[in-house]
Amino acid sequence: MGPGLYLHIPFCQHHCGYCNFAVMTGADDAFRTRYIAALKMDLSAVAAGGPRAVAPPGADVAPEWPTFTSVFVGGGTPTLLAPSDLAGLLRHAREALPVADDAEVTSEANPDGLTADGLSALVDAGLTRLSIGAQSFAPGVLSFLDRRHDREAPLRAVAAARAAGVAQVSLDLIYGAPAETARDWAASLRTALAARPDHVSAYALTLEANTPYAARVRGGAQAAPDDDVAAERMAVAGEVLGAAGLERYETSNWARPGARCRHNLTYWGGGDYLGVGAGAHGHWQGRRWWSTRPPARYADAALAGGSTTAGSEILDDATRRVERLMLGLRLVGGVDRAAVDPVDETALRDLVSAGLLDEDPDRLVLTAAGRPLADGVTLRLLPG
Amino acid sequence: MTYPAERIRNFAIIAHVDHGKSTLADRMLQVTKLTDDRTMRAQYLDRMDIERERGITIKAQAVRMPYPAVDGQEYLLNLIDTPGHVDFSYEVSRAMNACEGAVLLVDAAQGMEAQTIANLYVAIEAGLEVIPVLNKIDLPAARPEQIAEEIAALLGGDPTDILKVSAKTGAGVVAVLERIVERVPPPVGDADAPARGLIFDSVYDAYRGVITYMRVVDGRFVHGMDVRLMATGFHNEISELAVISPEPMPIDALGPGEVGYFTAAIKEVDHARVGDTVTDHGNPAAHPLPGYREPTPMVFSGLYPVDSDDFPDLREALERLRLNDASFTFEPETSVALGFGFRCGFLGLLHMEIISERLDREFDIPLVTTAPNVAYEVHLEPRMVAPNQPPVLAVSNPADLPPPNRIDHILEPVVEAMLLCPSTYVGAVMQLCEQRRGDLRKMEYITEERVELHYELPLAEIIFDFFDKLKSSTRGYASLDYEPAGLRRGDLVKVDILLNADPVDAFSTIVHRDKSYEYGRAMVGRLRELIPRQMFDVPIQAAIGSKIIARETVKARRKDVIAKCYGGDVTRKRKLLERQKEGKKRMKSVGTVEIPQEAFVAALSVGGGD
Repeated sequence: MGPGLYLHIPFCQHHCGYCNFAVMTGADDAFRTRYIAALKMDLSAVAAGGPRAVAPPGADVAPEWPTFTSVFVGGGTPTLLAPSDLAGLLRHAREALPVADDAEVTSEANPDGLTADGLSALVDAGLTRLSIGAQSFAPGVLSFLDRRHDREAPLRAVAAARAAGVAQVSLDLIYGAPAETARDWAASLRTALAARPDHVSAYALTLEANTPYAARVRGGAQAAPDDDVAAERMAVAGEVLGAAGLERYETSNWARPGARCRHNLTYWGGGDYLGVGAGAHGHWQGRRWWSTRPPARYADAALAGGSTTAGSEILDDATRRVERLMLGLRLVGGVDRAAVDPVDETALRDLVSAGLLDEDPDRLVLTAAGRPLADGVTLRLLPG
Repeated sequence: MTYPAERIRNFAIIAHVDHGKSTLADRMLQVTKLTDDRTMRAQYLDRMDIERERGITIKAQAVRMPYPAVDGQEYLLNLIDTPGHVDFSYEVSRAMNACEGAVLLVDAAQGMEAQTIANLYVAIEAGLEVIPVLNKIDLPAARPEQIAEEIAALLGGDPTDILKVSAKTGAGVVAVLERIVERVPPPVGDADAPARGLIFDSVYDAYRGVITYMRVVDGRFVHGMDVRLMATGFHNEISELAVISPEPMPIDALGPGEVGYFTAAIKEVDHARVGDTVTDHGNPAAHPLPGYREPTPMVFSGLYPVDSDDFPDLREALERLRLNDASFTFEPETSVALGFGFRCGFLGLLHMEIISERLDREFDIPLVTTAPNVAYEVHLEPRMVAPNQPPVLAVSNPADLPPPNRIDHILEPVVEAMLLCPSTYVGAVMQLCEQRRGDLRKMEYITEERVELHYELPLAEIIFDFFDKLKSSTRGYASLDYEPAGLRRGDLVKVDILLNADPVDAFSTIVHRDKSYEYGRAMVGRLRELIPRQMFDVPIQAAIGSKIIARETVKARRKDVIAKCYGGDVTRKRKLLERQKEGKKRMKSVGTVEIPQEAFVAALSVGGGD
């Protein structure tokens, strides 16, 4: 599996309360146009610099780009762009970098405003996968989450994608909102499955700092999510999605056979990827870097031909092992001992005997009981 | 200037905390012109920060005040300031023994308190002339006539003869000084006998060694004299002989009745203990002055560094504090739960608090302090004693108590407690004392409104929150004083606390059998609140021997994984993990259970409470 390319589109209609991504609302057409131009220019500059410019200094890296096997346009709401603009961006990526003919090319999308015609334009530009943010099919939950689409919108969006020939469709769901009942969640899962998605991501609602939701919790206007409830909902998700033939392959991700998200597997496997756009992160051979987050400042820097990098770090071997452990344990297949050793052997024995880890001398694999506790398991396994 | 004995007056001030002792002393310094407005600061004589902040005197003090009396003569008044807390009653008695008189200072609004009365009895036992004085007569709430009646009832004499002052404004202070000159007898001593002086305080100074405060009884002490401390046998030459007036002032000689201090390159206060007798090494006295007593710790607690790397620093800090305070003891001990630390012995709870506070303040070592306990005398079952084994054990750490089948019986320390309260609260006080296994010994109405109760109480029952409970059940009107009264047999058991079936030694406690279930349930319940959820269920049990008496469970955490971890989340999440790993180092691990330091502190700080 080759490297991946991530492109960030920060624009949203409005800011959902729980979201802490690099998003921007109220941008006008002029700025959107300016941002796309900047993004393309930055992508060309990164591509021209070659892999040695993004790898750690002195690393043993070939001067030419390897073939990219995935492209992921995330946001924000990429589909808020005119289909021609988004299609133009995808074409630009293929011009700038070697992208495989059979690459997985994903765009995130909000359920609102997707048309078969618009999506066809994207498919023509190489789009193979659409990830639709449904979040819930319960009106009370949608309102708690600040989602403004109606509960039918995701189903219309899936139908439009199928009609346009998008090869794989994924639905995002969020569980554990305090406004959600167990019935709501079961019903949301059933409704999502009725649309026959190739892939489902089901996330526990998380209280992130510096979000409108966090402010409301502090002020007492909304309740914080409860971990015990989340654990129950996660278990229900596993049962319902599994029964429908979707295999879990990561903490929050399920897919029908052959439909796992290649791009995200690159992240979890410690692979290389470029991140281009405001606040985007990249990783190449043990170097991580991230771009300027405010879209206007990012665009200014990119258009002036200057650096858009806001920060970077070089990971030493020990840190890379920590990351491999932390990410690898999220995968249902676990992680190779050789990639993460040494771990705390006493903790390992305790965790195995507590039934949270499989007894496997070569791999660290969470049991079903251990899966929701991946972070605590990781912490305990860290040596020293 | 030296004074003949007939113009010397040595006196102490007996007062309850907050009744204005330090303010009266400040006023006396001003009247005798030893301080002026420029050099004056509040509570001039209280040196340590802790003393000023808490408004209490921990160490005794002595100040020499030349006073031109109304009779035209100049007198030398030596004010010997005494500690004001029950933990330091022995130090109080030594300071009293250095005086011939005592001013009994009583707040005209509050009236007499148990502690004042206890100290008053010490003064009367020491044969001191007592001069009662009512303070704060300017307060609207003052009831001088009523309080004067109470004092007269206790001391005898005419209530109208009692002086009334406001130490705050200075009104009446001169009359107090005149009364001291008139009533307190001059010291009596043999100027030609071998020198003898009573040590009533000793203070460590980093530059000069120990500063030893003494009252000369017989003979003369001169600069350069080789002095011997009779109890410890230490001797050395006097390098500095001085009086305090109110700043140190060198002096060539001190004669009978005089009060001052000396230094003699003494490295630690343990060599110059309060109550010991100083004599001339070249011409020693045949007998020491009566009343010397080895300090005996009454309350014990384990002190553990939060960070085990601080252990050597803690040892050094304790050694340095001991230079200054011979009345606390420490020896290393190990706890499975807390690692390496020290078992420390204190005179009482306040003493313990002061030492912990000084460790924190002066040495900056964060500590875990285990719940205080007393020392038990454990008589072993004769058939279970091996040939070379002593049949009686002294146990100052509950974890060291042998299993029940090896014990014949246990003796615990008891105190003779005096409680003073308004008669309306007698019922509440008696109820509290009975709950704490007290035996009523005596009950006396001082006046119609004020009752003096005497109880024998197990020390273990009062070291924890007795005082707070007493105050809250009497709206703050009752007061307490106590002194050790030997050992008494008690039906005592050790309650162990087990986490995940592992006993946590730091939580073991010795309690009366009748209270063991209640204690066990309370402690287990509290720990369930304090211990964060773990990756698995953590049973918390209380046990006597192998018998489980209470049980709770901290249910396993069910989810902690973050929902999303994509390309942009990796660095942030890894950093969070690294911070949590640092936090893990501050966890105490008991078996597989990880307990945050704060939970330990919280559980222990409410120790034997209910």
